[in-house]
Amino acid sequence: MTFKGISTVVARCLSSLELLFSLDRGLPQSRFRLVVDGLVGAVAIGVVATTSVAAQEKPSALGLGIFTFTSGPAAAYGMPGKNAADLMIDEINAKGGIEGVPVSATYVDEAQGAQGVIAEYRRLAGDTKNQAMVAALSSANCLALAPLAEQLEVPTVGWNCDTHQLLIDGKSKYVFRPNGNTVPEFIAYAIYLLDRKPDVKTVAIINPDYAFGHDAAKIFTAALKALKPDIEIVAELYPKLGSPNYQTEISRLATARPDVVFSNLWGADLENFVRQAAPRGIFTSSQVTLALGETVLQRVPLPDGVIVGVLGDGWWMSPDAKANPETVKFAEAYKARFGEYPVFPAIKMANALIYLKAAYKAAMSKNDGKWPTRAELAEAMKGSKVATLTGTMQTRADNDGLVDQIVGVTVKTSAQQFPVIGDMVRYKGDSLMPQAGQDPLAWISTLKPEFARSLPKPGSYK
Amino acid sequence: MSNAIIPLLLDSLASAALIFFAAVGLTLVFSVLRVLNVAHGSLYSIGGYVAASICLFIASRQLNPYLSFAALLFSAVLVAAIFGPLIERGLVRWTYGKSEAVQILVTFGLFLILEDLQRVIFGVQSFYEDAPMRLLGTSSIGGVVYLNYQIVLIGMAVVVVIGLRLLINHTRLGRLITAVVTDREMAQSIGIDTNRIFILAFSLGVFLAALGGALATPTSGIAPGLGADTMVLAFAVAAIGGLGQIEGAAVASLIVGLARVLAIYLAPSLDAVAPYAAMLAVLLIRPYGLFGSVTARRI
Amino acid sequence: MPTILAAAAVLMLAVLPVAAPWLQFVLTLAIAKGFAALGVAVLLRAGLISIGHAMFFAASAYGVAFLARAGVNDLGLLLILSVLAGALVGAVAGSFLVRYRAIFFAMLNLAVSMVFYALCAKLYGITGGTDGMPVPVPTVFGVVLGEPAFKSVLFYLSLGLMVFVGVAVQRYLNSPLGHALSAVHTNEIRLEYLGIPVWAVLLIAYVISAALAGLGGAIAGFAIGRVVPDFAFWTASGHLVLIAVLGGIGGVPGAFIGALFLELLHSAAVTVTDSWNLIVGMTLIIVIMFMPQGVYGLFARKEASSL
Repeated sequence: MTFKGISTVVARCLSSLELLFSLDRGLPQSRFRLVVDGLVGAVAIGVVATTSVAAQEKPSALGLGIFTFTSGPAAAYGMPGKNAADLMIDEINAKGGIEGVPVSATYVDEAQGAQGVIAEYRRLAGDTKNQAMVAALSSANCLALAPLAEQLEVPTVGWNCDTHQLLIDGKSKYVFRPNGNTVPEFIAYAIYLLDRKPDVKTVAIINPDYAFGHDAAKIFTAALKALKPDIEIVAELYPKLGSPNYQTEISRLATARPDVVFSNLWGADLENFVRQAAPRGIFTSSQVTLALGETVLQRVPLPDGVIVGVLGDGWWMSPDAKANPETVKFAEAYKARFGEYPVFPAIKMANALIYLKAAYKAAMSKNDGKWPTRAELAEAMKGSKVATLTGTMQTRADNDGLVDQIVGVTVKTSAQQFPVIGDMVRYKGDSLMPQAGQDPLAWISTLKPEFARSLPKPGSYK
Repeated sequence: MSNAIIPLLLDSLASAALIFFAAVGLTLVFSVLRVLNVAHGSLYSIGGYVAASICLFIASRQLNPYLSFAALLFSAVLVAAIFGPLIERGLVRWTYGKSEAVQILVTFGLFLILEDLQRVIFGVQSFYEDAPMRLLGTSSIGGVVYLNYQIVLIGMAVVVVIGLRLLINHTRLGRLITAVVTDREMAQSIGIDTNRIFILAFSLGVFLAALGGALATPTSGIAPGLGADTMVLAFAVAAIGGLGQIEGAAVASLIVGLARVLAIYLAPSLDAVAPYAAMLAVLLIRPYGLFGSVTARRI
Repeated sequence: MPTILAAAAVLMLAVLPVAAPWLQFVLTLAIAKGFAALGVAVLLRAGLISIGHAMFFAASAYGVAFLARAGVNDLGLLLILSVLAGALVGAVAGSFLVRYRAIFFAMLNLAVSMVFYALCAKLYGITGGTDGMPVPVPTVFGVVLGEPAFKSVLFYLSLGLMVFVGVAVQRYLNSPLGHALSAVHTNEIRLEYLGIPVWAVLLIAYVISAALAGLGGAIAGFAIGRVVPDFAFWTASGHLVLIAVLGGIGGVPGAFIGALFLELLHSAAVTVTDSWNLIVGMTLIIVIMFMPQGVYGLFARKEASSL
C-alpha cells in the first residue's frame, strides 16, 4: 500500500521533471527539425539507396564481422580463432568465394569490452555489405550481442559462446551456436573420469574466477554427484582470471590430497598452472583433468595420463579429422603459416565458417540460385545439419548446436614431439544435452549411473 | 588444519616475496621523485619478457644453463639502463611540480603505450623460460613439495630490503638521495645535482620493477594483461606500507601475502578481494599507510 | 557567441545519427561517458583526482539492472532511482574520502572502486559475475517501445539531459559553492579561516560528481543493454580522468568534447588497428604536453567559467 503511494508521488515528481526536460530541449529540437529535414532528405536518399539493394542480386563481396580476442589475456584463445578465420577465408576465396562471392572479414577485438563490441556490431550491421556476424568468443559478449542480433535481424553465429544461458529461452531467430555448450562439455568429463577411475572419492576443482569457471564447476559437480553420490569435493579454488601465480593454490591442493584435480583454466593461466604444478608433484599424486588441456599440448610438456579434451569434437588429429582430406590439408596449412597445429579454438572457428558457407548454399538452392537476404540466410541455418572438419553439426530447434564430445588422456607417440590424445571416447552430441527448454542443472541431477553405462567407453574411439 | 600450518606460513612468505618485488620499485620512486608511476606494472612485465627472451636464447644456443641466473639479473639492468633515463628525461621530468593529476595521467598514457608495444613485439601467447626453476629442484617441507626457487626468492626479497637500506643509509648516493627527499630545494642550493639523482633513483625503481618481472618468469609466464594486474597490486602494497616506505612495502607484502594465502586456504571465494580489502582496512585506520607520515596536506 | 557555437554543436550531434545510424550508439555512449567525466572534472576543480569514478558509473548501471529485475520498468523512474543510487554510494564513500587530499585521495578512491569491482565479479549469484546482468528495454511513460525506437528516445533524451544538466553544473560551478572548490585547490587553510566548512564543500561536490557519473552509467547501461563488472575496473576510471583532461576541465563542455573526441577516434581507429591503447596513450601525452589549453584549468589555475 505504502509502496504504491510512494510510487505515485515519485511518478508525479517525475512527470513534472520530464516536462522540464522536454521544455528544455523542445525549443532547439523543433527548430533544428526544420533545418534538418532538408538536410536529411539528401542523406536519406543515400541511405535508402544502399539499404534497399535488391537482396537477390549477388553482391561484389560478402562482408563478415568476426569477433574474437586479439589483445589482452584472452588472446591466447582468440588468436588461434582469428588465424583459422584468416586461413579459412583465404581458402574459400581461392576457390572463388562462397557461391562465387568473395569473402572479406572485418575483425573486432573483444578485449574492448561489451560497449566497444556492441558499438562495432552496430556499425558493421549498419553496412549492408556485412551479411552475417561470427560472434563471439566470450560468453559475456555473446550474451550482450544476442538481443542486438535479434533486433537488427543479423544472422549471428556464435563460434565459441560456451555459456548454456545463451539460447535458453528458445526464442532466438538470428543467433545460432554451431557448437557445444558448457552442459555437454563438462558432463562428458564427469562420465569419462568415472569410467576411467571408478573408485574416485575426493575431487578438487581449480577453475578461473569468472562465469565460465563457476558454470563448469557447477555442472561437473552436479554430474559427478548424480552419477556417484558418495563423491566429495574437498577443495574449490577460483583464482582470478589472468593470475600468473598458482603456488599457494598448489600447496592447498597438495594438502587436500584429492584423488582427482579438475580444472578448466586456459590460455596463459593453464600454462602457468601446469608449469608450476608439475614439478610440485600434483600430476603424480592426483589424476589431473584439464578440460582445455588440448590448447597447451604443443606448448607445455604435459605428463602422460592427464585427462584432456577439446570441448566438442574439434581435435585436428581425431580419427574423423584424419579421415577427412580437407582437415588434414587445413591442419598442415595452419602449421605452415602459424608455426603450430590448429588447437581446438582454431577448429571451432573454421567449423563456424563452414557452417555459414553451408547455410549460404542451402539458402541459394532454396531460393532458385538467387542470393539470400539476411533473413533467408538465418532461415537456412534453422535445423541445418552440416559436415564440418571434424564431424557433424546438427542445429536444434532452439538454434543450439549438437556436436560430439571427444575426451581422452595424454599419451606420447613417435609421430609427434608433443603428447597427443589417446584412449579416446566420442560421445554423441545429443546424448549429453537436455531437451530444449529444460533446466540444465535439474536435468543433470536426474542422471543415473545406468545412463553413463549406456555410453561408449574410453578407448572406443579410434 | 594444524598440519597445514607450515605450508601456510611458507606459502605466505613465498607469495609475499613475489608481491614485494612487484611493489618496492613503485614506492622507492615515489619517495624520491614524488611521482606515482602508473606504468610501473608495464616495466615489471617488460622485465619478464626480456628475461625470458634472453633465457630462451641461452637455451637455444645450448649455453651453460646456469647462465640463465645471470640473465635474470642482466635483463633487469638492461631494462633499467634503457627505460630509466628515457622515461625520466623524456616524460616524468616534465611533470615535476605539476599536479598529481598530470603526473598520474602522463604515466597512465605511458602505461597504455607500453601495454600495446609489448603485445606488438612479444605477441599474445604466454612467454616463459623455466630453466632456472628446473635447475634448482624441489624440496618436501611439511608434507608439501615446494620449488627451491620459491625459497630462493624469499631470500632474495630479504636481500633487497637489507640492500636498499644499506644503500640509503651507508653510501654517498644514499645520503644524496636522502637529502633530496628531505628538502629538494635545499639540496639543490648546496650543489647537489638533483637531476642526476632523479635519473638514478628512477632507474633504480625501473630496475627493481624489471627485476621483479624477471624473477617471476621462471615460474610464471608473462602474458598480456599482467602489467595492469601488477600495477594495482603494487599500488595496494605501497599504500598499505605507506608510500615511499621500503620497510613498509616489505611488511605490507607480508600482510597481503598472508591475507591471500589465508583466503585460499580458508575461504577461496575471497581470494581476489583480499588484497583490496586489506588495503581499504589499513587505509581507513591509517590513511597514510602503516609507515607513512602525515605530510601531504597542503598548507 | 559561445552559446551559438554550443547550440550548433548540439544540433550537429542531433543530426549525425540520421546520416549514420550506427553512430547513434557511439554518441549515446560518448554522452554517457561525458557525464561521468564531468563528474571527475568537478572534483579536479578542487585539485582532487579520483581514479575510482567508474565505481559510481557501474553502481548506477547495476542499480538499473537490479531495479529492472525487481519489476521497475519506467525509463524516467529507473533513471532517477539509479542516479540516486549512484549519489547515495557517493555520499557514503565521500563522507570519509573527502578527508584526504592529493595522491591519498586518488589511491583511496582506487581502493574502494577495486573492492566494488571485485565484489561485482565475485558475487556470482547476485550480479551474474563476469557475465553481468541484462538491462531490458524499459517503457517510456507507459509506452512500450521497440528496441530501435527506444534507442532513439534514449539518444535524444541524453542529448537533452546533456544541455540541461550541463547548464545546471555550470550554474553550480559559478555559484559560491563552486568557486569554493577552486579555493580548496589554491589555499584550503584560508578557506577555513573564512569560516567555510571545506569538508561540506567537498562532500557536496563529491555527491554531485558521483551522481553525474551515475547518470552516465545509467544511460550507458540502457544503451549497451548489459552491465558487466568491467565497468568498474580501474582502467575504466583512468579513462574517465583521461576524457576529462583531454577535453579540458575548464568548462562543462570540455568533458563532453573529450568523450566525443575519444569515442569517435576509437570508432575510426579500431577499423584499422588493434593498437588502440597506443593511440590513446600517445594522444593523451601529446595533449597534456603540447596543448595545455586542453588542460588550462590544471596549470594556469585561470578562472574558467565562460561556457
